[in-house]
Amino acid sequence: MGAVISVKDLCKTYIVDKRQNNVLKNVNFDVEEGEMIAIMGPSGSGKSTLLYSVSGMDKATSGEVMFGGKNITKLGSKELAKLRLTEMGFIFQQMYMLKNLTIFDNIVLPAMQSGAASKEEIKKHGEELMRKLGIIDVADNDINEVSGGQLQRACICRSLINRPKVIFADEPTGALNRSTSEEVLQELLKINEEGTTIMMVTHDAKVAAKCNKVLYIVDGNIKGSYELGRMESPDQIRDRERAVNNWLMDLGW
Amino acid sequence: MIGNILKRDLKRKKTMNVIILLFVILATMFVASSVNNIITILNGTDYYFDQAGVGDYNILTLGENVVGNLDDFLKNTKEIKSYKKEEVITIGSKAITKDGKTLELEGLMLAQSLEDSCLKFFDENNNVVDSVENGTIYITRELGEGKKFNIGDQITIKVGDVEQSFTIKGRLKDAMLGSSFMGNTRLLMSHDDYKKYTDNPEIARYSRGEMCCMESDDVAAIRKAVGELEGIAFNADRALIKLTYVMDLIIAAVLIVVSICLIIVSFVVLKFTISFTLSEEFREIGVMKAIGISDIKIRSIYFIKYFAIAVVGACIGLSASAPFGNMLLRSVSENMVLGNNGGMLLNIISAVVVVVVIVGYAFRCTGKIKKSSPLDAIRDGQTGERFGKKTTLRIMKSPTPTVAYMALNDVWSSPKRYLTIILAFTICSLLVFVLINTTETMDSDKLAYTFGKQSDVYYGDSLSDDLKAVGVAKDCEKDCQFLKEKLAEKGYDAKVSVEAMFAYKVSFGGESYKVMCDQGINTKTIDYPYYEGEAPKNTHEVAITEQVQKLLGAKIGDVIKITINGHEDEYLVVGYWETMEQQGEMIRLHEDVEFGEQDYIGCAAYQIDFLDHPSKEEISNRVEVIREFMNTKKVWDARDFTVTTMNCLDMMKSVQNLLLGITLVVVLLVTVLMEKSFISDEKGEIAILKAVGFTDGNIISWHVIRFFIVSAISIVLACILAVPATQVAITPIFRMMGMHAVEYNYNLFKLLVQYPGIILVVMMISVVVTAFGTKRITCSDAASIE
Repeated sequence: MGAVISVKDLCKTYIVDKRQNNVLKNVNFDVEEGEMIAIMGPSGSGKSTLLYSVSGMDKATSGEVMFGGKNITKLGSKELAKLRLTEMGFIFQQMYMLKNLTIFDNIVLPAMQSGAASKEEIKKHGEELMRKLGIIDVADNDINEVSGGQLQRACICRSLINRPKVIFADEPTGALNRSTSEEVLQELLKINEEGTTIMMVTHDAKVAAKCNKVLYIVDGNIKGSYELGRMESPDQIRDRERAVNNWLMDLGW
Repeated sequence: MIGNILKRDLKRKKTMNVIILLFVILATMFVASSVNNIITILNGTDYYFDQAGVGDYNILTLGENVVGNLDDFLKNTKEIKSYKKEEVITIGSKAITKDGKTLELEGLMLAQSLEDSCLKFFDENNNVVDSVENGTIYITRELGEGKKFNIGDQITIKVGDVEQSFTIKGRLKDAMLGSSFMGNTRLLMSHDDYKKYTDNPEIARYSRGEMCCMESDDVAAIRKAVGELEGIAFNADRALIKLTYVMDLIIAAVLIVVSICLIIVSFVVLKFTISFTLSEEFREIGVMKAIGISDIKIRSIYFIKYFAIAVVGACIGLSASAPFGNMLLRSVSENMVLGNNGGMLLNIISAVVVVVVIVGYAFRCTGKIKKSSPLDAIRDGQTGERFGKKTTLRIMKSPTPTVAYMALNDVWSSPKRYLTIILAFTICSLLVFVLINTTETMDSDKLAYTFGKQSDVYYGDSLSDDLKAVGVAKDCEKDCQFLKEKLAEKGYDAKVSVEAMFAYKVSFGGESYKVMCDQGINTKTIDYPYYEGEAPKNTHEVAITEQVQKLLGAKIGDVIKITINGHEDEYLVVGYWETMEQQGEMIRLHEDVEFGEQDYIGCAAYQIDFLDHPSKEEISNRVEVIREFMNTKKVWDARDFTVTTMNCLDMMKSVQNLLLGITLVVVLLVTVLMEKSFISDEKGEIAILKAVGFTDGNIISWHVIRFFIVSAISIVLACILAVPATQVAITPIFRMMGMHAVEYNYNLFKLLVQYPGIILVVMMISVVVTAFGTKRITCSDAASIE
């Protein structure tokens, strides 16, 4: 499979109080189609900035990000919005949804906006996703009528509604408890198995151990990359976790 | 620690804090200026009359050899506590020339010397005029405005054979005759210049009169006593003179309504902003509670915060309230000297009230803190068990595009949130619409019948000898004939009629009064409308107005006595009619009643009815033709006649424009500040929408459509309420002027298209410009928003 994302010499610099802060420094890596990649690193290392720059949510200072053959650093805001709407999905630690819409309406909102499918198709797909993620019972609920786990699953449904090529997830389990985190992670693994590429920022080595590849970033530079390969059976998890932990400790985690 | 939390809060929530501060400034400015203006206006005429020295009862005598007539009356009427008397001369309507051109002036014109005046007159800056040099003259504002006289202009005044030139020194405010409804003119000159006129025996005989201001505790008794006097051209108690300021009072009433509305809008918006910002703080309150800060301390943080914002805002608002209030008052005080004894104290008290209300409301809102647990507070004030289901529209059932659906759904599911804006916009729009209905009615021929018979053309110039202050009623018949012949010469076959007015002694139930009676010449009583009863059919039947009904206590079926030519006779009241002449206090006599020449006061405009019933356009053409061949500008169609007679349309229009300006400013401020609040509140939602692929344009459209829906609801509501609100608010004012019921002229284009359009456009521009602020929110903000 080819690279769905190719990052070359990516730099991101913030100017805070007239001081230059180089958050990303010449970052280079590829993400293969169908891969599930974890980005790890200490706080303030530039993980989220990397995710947002790669997904076009934030403008890179320099460098190149090729997404499905397009250099998104050269795209205008409208083209980027269209790309995000049709080819990317986003999951955040904060489970933001529109408070005046039901869970179902929040989920189908991007599909309605893109207008690529008929209302019936969107409804069917939305219900299918909700059923798959086990939240069909709360479809008509308000967003404050469901638990954090249900809400995060609803956010995952929303990210999938337009059948994106890549899902970008920024600590998707960060605000959830252990059992809910596990459930959400399982859903993401299933989605990945079905062919969707996932790029995820996480602090949790256990989460990273389930991915195909782990990137470790320190001070805006990728310090190391660890290829785990696809997890074939749940029995492998202990070994994968141990291997990731050892690798991280070697890098100073 | 509290200080540190506060410092961080002020820095971090700069936008919302600035918004509250702005609303406090607006509220203080509106409340302080409005309270002061309301008190000033309510004091209005009394304050002005006291300053000018208007008496409890006032008389003007005019006619041949009337000077001295009043002396016995003043000596013998025991109810008169004190009096002041001044001598005047009347001036013909074509007596003034400027730059060699004779000017046509309307209404009664009186000239007098300042030294002999019993009243005080004021200049445009409300200072008392205390000296007039020889060769200079002060003119009333009305004359100056209408005829474009400027200070420093040279004019010549010719009375009889005496002609003098004057330099205009300034414009006068005349409490007695200066209201726009009276439309009279007073010219104030030096004693020496005045004497040059009165030394002429012809002028002394025909043109002199006396103005007398009396103080009394029993005005009714004086009024009855005046019934016996002859040569009375004008007599009125304070209340009646007050009524002549009804146009100024309409504007004042509009101003009071505007002020009350501004106060309501300010407090409604302020209440919304405080509860809105406090609801945003519940997460932090929860954290503070969780780490053990006591309720009192948490409340005191918000108390101090709102107190500080309220005090700073109130101080700024207070300093802006004086110029703002004066700007509003200026339109009312053009004819009057307005003031109150409270001065800035009222503004200060109002500002303190605003601070107390804000702090009190903030304190009440923070009361919720006591009841909630840390977890409740973290859940934005919800307990988790009492989540209320929001009523939502479903996206799948919506026929509109997504952004329009989102906007509609927001308004539908949070009506309380948008109710504030709807209320504020509806009130403001309604005010403008009510005033439009009023000015449109005044700017039409709808009220022409209240100044005479509904006719094609009205001719207002004098056809009699200019020197005589009061002519004879018989001349009116000749004048009608003269005008008819003149029209016939030009090929216009027309009926010319006029209404003669007489101040007769009228008695009922043992009480006698001088009441103005109207008698048609070349018209019949059946030519006029009566809202109850019927037209007088013979010389012993009369119709009376509501005001006369109240004065005499007589009603249909009663017999009143009227003294004409020294003979008292009985007259049966058969109908009620309405007029705005004499503030509605008039009796209509049958056309065949013999004239009482000694009580003749004058006649109204000559009314021309063409026998070929021409179209409106043709009437306009004929007005121009008549103006040309009669060499006068005082020829009008029904609409222009009403406008000229009411003499306040320009003022009403300027108030309407002022009100529209205020409305637009309020709409702009409320829109900008509300939209800023929404952007601040919805930062997370905007970021997530951008993250999932909504463009900046989509987000701006969402916000703009939301405001469009809200403003459309407001404008529709205001349009629906405009007709009943006009009836409720304006009809009582017309009733004060003598009307019984008013048929309003509704200009649907202005009411439904033009003015709603202007308000909508301003609102939309404000929201579009403000909504551009959403462009600063990026999708990556979704990860960093608390």
